[in-house]
Amino acid sequence: MTLKVQILIGIILILVLGAILNMVRKRQLELKYVLAWLFCDLTLLFFDCFPDTMIIVAGFLGIYSPVNMIFFLGFVFSLIIIFSLTVALSRVTAKVRRMAQMMALENYQMENEKEISGTDKQKNLTEQK
Amino acid sequence: MKKLVIIPAFNEQESILNTVRDIKENAPGFDYVIINDCSKDKTLRICRNNNLNVLDLPVNLGIGGAVQTGYLYAYSHDYDIAVQFDGDGQHDAKYLQYMADILQEENLDMVIGSRFIQKEGFQSSGIRRVGIRFFTLLIRLLFGKTITDATSGMRMCNRKVMELFIKEYPRDYPEPETVSRLLRHKCKVKEVPVIMREREAGVSSISLGKSAYYMVKVTLAILIERLR
Repeated sequence: MTLKVQILIGIILILVLGAILNMVRKRQLELKYVLAWLFCDLTLLFFDCFPDTMIIVAGFLGIYSPVNMIFFLGFVFSLIIIFSLTVALSRVTAKVRRMAQMMALENYQMENEKEISGTDKQKNLTEQK
Repeated sequence: MKKLVIIPAFNEQESILNTVRDIKENAPGFDYVIINDCSKDKTLRICRNNNLNVLDLPVNLGIGGAVQTGYLYAYSHDYDIAVQFDGDGQHDAKYLQYMADILQEENLDMVIGSRFIQKEGFQSSGIRRVGIRFFTLLIRLLFGKTITDATSGMRMCNRKVMELFIKEYPRDYPEPETVSRLLRHKCKVKEVPVIMREREAGVSSISLGKSAYYMVKVTLAILIERLR
């Protein structure tokens, strides 16, 4: 891995890290869902700063070039994050469905109560006549 | 002076009745509301059968969302003071009036019941105490105030803090983060010694496997709070 690509990757990772933290700071992102991104970013940054460790791991996994190892790691992390998003989305879908159902039941009950009190009033009126 | 006890409840069927009885007997000046966060056991049925004042959330919001619902209820029903109180029997209602007195007399924004001032009663397990001490150090370093029990779930606050909490409240593990937030807003926070019991029933929301995640998340949250 050349020094050039090492610096380039490093700069990108640091910029991304700053952008993510800034968005959490402004409450545009929830920390809970950002942890995976932070972990990914910091791991890649570590390997980028210390390429020797990367060579060891790359050798252990049988990957020829350490820079490939960075790309491979980034790809694996992306998959993990996408999967966790799918899980989170499924949960949110279930919750929204349940909320809509509960609101429908609630509205139904409220409408019924209105009708009942409405007919009561009508009865009272006819009785008064 | 209207005072409300907020009891977030998730699977507390064994202890919820005792908790409410404790409040009625030992804190007579307080109203209470239970926030049932989609308990999977009989918590809701027990509450309804005994005519307890309960809000039933239609979807699970986590401890943060449940407690925030309580603050929303307190604020919209014109309560002057709201206090969080665990439904699992850890907290003792006899301290509530004492905490309210201190809150008013010293014109504070929040009073926290701390286990670690007099070091009496249930002190939590060793590894957790290390974590709590770490938060104490971190908060002292960043905000310049010593909070011995930042994870305490027994916290009483006034309307100013309720407003802050209604606007924004973390979803899970909210305690240390929100204390930091109050300190950043220059709120007057004080701890008073209380004695807590070991939980009667239920399990802690923080299992051993989750504690690493807990430490990382809460630490980051406090650090980011300093940057806000």
